[in-house]
Amino acid sequence: MQETLLKIREVSKHFGGVYAVSGVSLNIKGGGIWGLVGPNGSGKTTLFNTILGLHRPDEGDIYFNGKCINRLAPHQIYGLGLVNAFQIPRLFSRLSVLDNMLLAARGHQGDTLLNSLFLRKGWQEQEVELAGKAMEILETLELVHLALSPAGELSGGQRKLLEVGRGVMSSPTLLLLDEPAAGINPNLGKKIFQGIEDLSQEGLSFFIIEHRLEILFDFAHWVYVMDKGKIVVEGKPEEVLEDPAFFEVYLGV
Amino acid sequence: MDPLLYVLDLIVFIGIFGIVALSLNLEFGFAGLANFGKVAFFLIGAYTYALLSQIGVPFYLCLVAGGLVSAIFGLLVSLPALRLRADYLAIAVLAFGEILRLIVKSEEFAGGDWGITVSPAISLVGASHRVDALVNIGLVYFCLLICFIVVQLLANSPYGRAMRAIREDEVAAEALGKSEVKYKAQALMLGSAMAGVAGGLYAQYLQYVLPGMFMPMVTFTVWIMVLLGGPANNWGVLLGAALVQIFNRGTNILKDYFILPINPTDLQYILFGALIILVLLYRPQGLLKESRIKTKAMEGVRRARNAVKNKGSQ
Amino acid sequence: MTVNWAQVLFNSTITGSLYLIGAVGLTLTYGLSRFPNFAHAEFITLGAYIGYSVAEQAGLGFPLALVVSFLVTGIVGILCYRGIFQPLAKRGATIIHLMVASIALGFILRYSIGATWTWKPLYFTTTWSAFNIGPLRITGLWVWLILTAIALAILMHFILVKTKIGKAIRATSSNPELALASGINVDRVILITWFIGAGLAAFAGIFRGADTQIWPLTGWDIILPIFAVTILGGIGNFYGAIVAAFIIGLAENVGVVGLIALGLSTSYRIGIAFLILIITLIVRPEGLAMLFRRA
Ligand SMILES: Nc1ncnc2c1ncn2[C@@H]1O[C@H](COP(=O)(O)OP(=O)(O)OP(=O)(O)O)[C@@H](O)[C@H]1O
Ligand SMILES: [Mg+2]
Repeated sequence: MQETLLKIREVSKHFGGVYAVSGVSLNIKGGGIWGLVGPNGSGKTTLFNTILGLHRPDEGDIYFNGKCINRLAPHQIYGLGLVNAFQIPRLFSRLSVLDNMLLAARGHQGDTLLNSLFLRKGWQEQEVELAGKAMEILETLELVHLALSPAGELSGGQRKLLEVGRGVMSSPTLLLLDEPAAGINPNLGKKIFQGIEDLSQEGLSFFIIEHRLEILFDFAHWVYVMDKGKIVVEGKPEEVLEDPAFFEVYLGV
Repeated sequence: MDPLLYVLDLIVFIGIFGIVALSLNLEFGFAGLANFGKVAFFLIGAYTYALLSQIGVPFYLCLVAGGLVSAIFGLLVSLPALRLRADYLAIAVLAFGEILRLIVKSEEFAGGDWGITVSPAISLVGASHRVDALVNIGLVYFCLLICFIVVQLLANSPYGRAMRAIREDEVAAEALGKSEVKYKAQALMLGSAMAGVAGGLYAQYLQYVLPGMFMPMVTFTVWIMVLLGGPANNWGVLLGAALVQIFNRGTNILKDYFILPINPTDLQYILFGALIILVLLYRPQGLLKESRIKTKAMEGVRRARNAVKNKGSQ
Repeated sequence: MTVNWAQVLFNSTITGSLYLIGAVGLTLTYGLSRFPNFAHAEFITLGAYIGYSVAEQAGLGFPLALVVSFLVTGIVGILCYRGIFQPLAKRGATIIHLMVASIALGFILRYSIGATWTWKPLYFTTTWSAFNIGPLRITGLWVWLILTAIALAILMHFILVKTKIGKAIRATSSNPELALASGINVDRVILITWFIGAGLAAFAGIFRGADTQIWPLTGWDIILPIFAVTILGGIGNFYGAIVAAFIIGLAENVGVVGLIALGLSTSYRIGIAFLILIITLIVRPEGLAMLFRRA
């Protein structure tokens, strides 16, 4: 395993009086699949959103690749290779599925005003390439036949898949997935996690929130358990499963 | 009045307002900005043109300057305004336009209530009104063409795609690396530049500028063009501009042939209002629906599909 | 230059009273329906014309003019909400679409008014006795205007705090889902605010018309200051609106003194409110509302 990718130190985030995340510290090293589990409302999504710059942390610091990212805007954090797929998909409904994918590509030369007017040759080739890559990902997600339909016409499960697909499309260093297997059929869910494992072998790192513990624990090599805004247990999946604190959280003993 | 001249005049108006409609389409149709102060930037272009041409600056420089000054104002306005919610932005820029109109109405340098007379851009010696109108058509449609090419290139590029994404969901777009402020500020700047050029064309064509030409009404006429023709479709908004202008003339011609129980201008705006509400209720996408993003991505799709087919047939 | 500060202060109260009466309806509908209704300007205008018809054309006097135009404009308000805004909202219209629709509605009303009453300015012929108290010059109309504003403030306070409908309005304004869940008939609450809001706009129209003139842009002429009051006061916040109305009234009247002192045209007077509006939006878009909650 390589050096630390994401380092979170004593991060808290509260809404009014509610501490959604309180004093969370964790270390994600490069390579591999990291899991985050916990009951509903335990603060998992809030933690992700804080990492991504969608919320400012009230306390604590977040480092990515050794760089403090507390004060960066979401689009800058994305630029560093830290990308997210939302729990509730946020698609661009009137744009096609393919356009949704292409939007996620990082470092597209055609993304600036002047290039789009004057350097069309340069990025048109990139478009061809990226579209090919997008089609490959859509193929895995069984969405390829819908590539040209508006994203607004997708079913709930398909929306979720596209959300994950966009994350993969961006070729991030670390991809945060918020319940990627929620609302899609179990077989496809397994298949997605197999895809994730393949990608992680190629060097991409994952940090995944998932309620379907049976799938996650098969693939993750390290799991954090969150409850009431705090990390209560962490360890290898098999260790966590034996930890009484884990059962306490889930059974509310 | 000479019927041919009347038609030529109509064509000039369609061209000028076509440019403004394209600019609002860039801001609202693509970037989702509620610019309720469009007329402010039209005014800036017109008055810049008028003031510069007064001191003998050649017409093309006046036009360019009108566009530039307007763009600068667009950018300045965008800096504080873009962080605002849609409704706040709309109200703020509407008030901005009214303040500008107050200024040109009250200040001597801008001619106050009587405005400024402007000499035409190109005046040929001894030319008839018809020829003058034709010359104007040439000038206006040349500018329109440039603006159209620019907005079409933007619409069909990754840049335009990002803009549309911000319109759909700015948080998701931010999380995918698209800086909302950057895209919106650029849209407002470019849109204002285009509106400024149109304002200059308008000033030199009418040969005067008056505060009364820049009422908030102008802004909403352009909104009608965009919403009717089809937001995020550049052909659509040009169609909208033409329809609104023709309709505008139509109600005025009507009065020459029929005895209406109602003043044609009143009737016209009552119908505009009703039309826009009907469009919003029953056809919110406008006459032409949003255009697809045409880039070479389709080639990539075709290749991918062929690859799958070949695999299948082996 | 000697300034009659007592008169400036008094004039501020007059301006503030007018803006308050005009803004209450706007702030309530903005707070509940969650979009700024630009046709509020035309509710004001319509009210002025109906008042004129009742008082002058039918010769029934000023008080009856207020009552009739409140009722008629209020009903127009309900019809507009039911006929346009509610269907649009049901079809998932964005806030931008709702704003444009309200402007379109404004067109329909404004030009229908122009077609009915022509664009020639009309004047109330009722003469108001003018008198002096110390350094102040006062007319009967201004006394009426200020008394109406005070009565409105007291009545609205009573309605909002004491009555069921008032509590429902506040609940719906702060959290519509919760209000719906707790059994409040949100639809009816919204209709009632549109009725009251448009009706009060009519009051503003009559007072403005009686003080100056009536024409199809009577409402549009004062709509931006009224927006300034609404936003400075905090959208949906009645108490904020009271304070904001008087701040803006004061700013305008003191501003005029300043404009003259600076040798600028007094036609900038209306621009003062625009400037406050823009600055509030940029610096403190939530308006004064937070001040009240903290206090
Ligand atoms: N924007 C917000 N404003 C106020 N409270 C919030 C906000 N977002 C989250 N919360 C609260 O913070 C707490 C944690 O929520 P969060 O969404 O992070 O939980 P979660 O672990 O992701 O739950 P789930 O498994 O259901 O997705 C909850 O009590 C929630 O109500
Ligand atoms: Mg969650």
